[in-house]
Amino acid sequence: MNRTLRLLRSAGAVWWRDFVAWRKFWRSSILLNFGEPLTNLLALGVGLGAYVAVMQGVSFLQFIAPGLLAVTAMNAVTFDAGFETYDKLNSSGVYAAMLTSPLTVPEIVLGEYLWEATRAILYGAVFFVVILAFGLVHSWWSLLLPVPLILFGVLFTAPALYVAAVARTHEQLFYYFSLVITPMFMFSGVFFPVAHLPWIVQDIIYILPLYHGVLLTRAMVLGQMTPSIVWQFVWLILYAAVLAYLPVRALARRLTT
Amino acid sequence: MVAVAPDLDLASRPSVSAEDVIVARGLEKTYTDVRAVRGVDFTIHRGECFAFLGPNGAGKSSTIRMLSCLSPLSGGELTVLGHNADIGERRIKERLGIVSQDDNVDPDLSLMENLLVYARYFSMPAEEARQHADELLTFMQLEGRSKAAVRELSGGMRRRLVIARALMHHPDILVLDEPTTGLDPQARLLVWGAVQQLKAQGVTIVLTTHYMDEAERLADRLVVMDHGRILQEDAPRPLIERTVGREAVEIWHRGGDDAPFIAAAGDALLLSDRHGDTLVLYAGEPGRIGQAFARQGIAPERMLVRPTNLEDVFLTLTGRDLRE
Repeated sequence: MNRTLRLLRSAGAVWWRDFVAWRKFWRSSILLNFGEPLTNLLALGVGLGAYVAVMQGVSFLQFIAPGLLAVTAMNAVTFDAGFETYDKLNSSGVYAAMLTSPLTVPEIVLGEYLWEATRAILYGAVFFVVILAFGLVHSWWSLLLPVPLILFGVLFTAPALYVAAVARTHEQLFYYFSLVITPMFMFSGVFFPVAHLPWIVQDIIYILPLYHGVLLTRAMVLGQMTPSIVWQFVWLILYAAVLAYLPVRALARRLTT
Repeated sequence: MVAVAPDLDLASRPSVSAEDVIVARGLEKTYTDVRAVRGVDFTIHRGECFAFLGPNGAGKSSTIRMLSCLSPLSGGELTVLGHNADIGERRIKERLGIVSQDDNVDPDLSLMENLLVYARYFSMPAEEARQHADELLTFMQLEGRSKAAVRELSGGMRRRLVIARALMHHPDILVLDEPTTGLDPQARLLVWGAVQQLKAQGVTIVLTTHYMDEAERLADRLVVMDHGRILQEDAPRPLIERTVGREAVEIWHRGGDDAPFIAAAGDALLLSDRHGDTLVLYAGEPGRIGQAFARQGIAPERMLVRPTNLEDVFLTLTGRDLRE
């Protein structure tokens, strides 16, 4: 069999396993991944928005909605990849069982990227429908939203898989969530433009992948696509490419001793 | 109800010409600070049941993980179904059914989904997979539960599901790592029946077990391992007779002196062993120790005469000390 075809087939089988498992709990899963961003949108957008009249020429609710879509996708990917992978490694033996078949660790990792990209699109789409209903979508460019979400499926899954592979306890997973993911959520320009922050803080923020994801989703939803937005794409692709191989060795070390 | 695995037709497996399906030479496994396997040689023939026996930490599981391509070799050479284990991992795994010690069935899936999802890992056509999954659920007496959640299964059912899963792709070799540990007697019988039936259909069986009766019943040939080495290799009966003779005489006597019994047994005695209050005398020929005792008027108060078994071999070769 052709090598590329075999790689895709194997990764597809891993995707299929995750899909079959997800199918059982999809209602509660969507509800869980949906409650928080919706709360943020309503409490902050509507509540706080009453005091913050205009931000970069649009209402506060309008300003934060596209960024929250990016955050929804990031969280849907991060928590699933983190917890599920930790359990597949440490309690259920799902990966160990996969390795008794011809599947290899790189194929498993690729399968998880495909699945998490699917989740990013799916949960992003649900949130998109909500902001559409609120009348917060203003451009056909929004149809391109799956592109950054697919990249999220790689660049946020990779570190989560890595952390799950090296974590000894559930608590250690939370270090990653609370020390990396949550600060990124607060400082990536979802709630305020970063242009007025000290330059050194701006430089740090510029390194965060979510920042570029937020700028992209906002530009797409508001129809403010400028030529310079290409740089945000470049950053996301770069992140995905650099991080993609990160979990392979860590997982192989855990699984094939 | 006595559990007997119903018929299963596993015909039409592609044949491999070589009769030696697994050949290991100087096989070694070293973990960071432990030499788990220290150079072992063995050859497993097509269609036989080959067992690895040994106390915990003897190197059985490490050996079996290497020949399943789940663990890279630290040294030596290993050929499985004509493929070098260092480079032929995918080819080997396509032909191997692996039942690991931990019941790693997928807890989020139903029984049927477990089998069908696993079949996908082998790129099996969906139609064929569904049909074979039905056959295997019947074979392992899990029919009627195909839609049940794995979480609802008892330990015995989970093990049977793992075995069914390992058979999904019609493997040439079935690797069973302690397949009946923790099972009740009925479930053990069912697993034994299934193994014997698979063997009759030409599937090569590789087995590790702590149960000597299981090894004696299922294995055509076996090795006894300890401290990462193979101590003995043979068919069960010749191995037993060669190591501990044909008859064991157990004598219980508290704190007494063994010397009179050993002296009385004379040249009938092959080997003696003591554990706790029990003295065990092994004889090459049945009845000889009894005759010797009768001649010399020795009549122990509590004495049991029985045929030797694999347990005697095992304890004689690996000692009676606890390992963990």
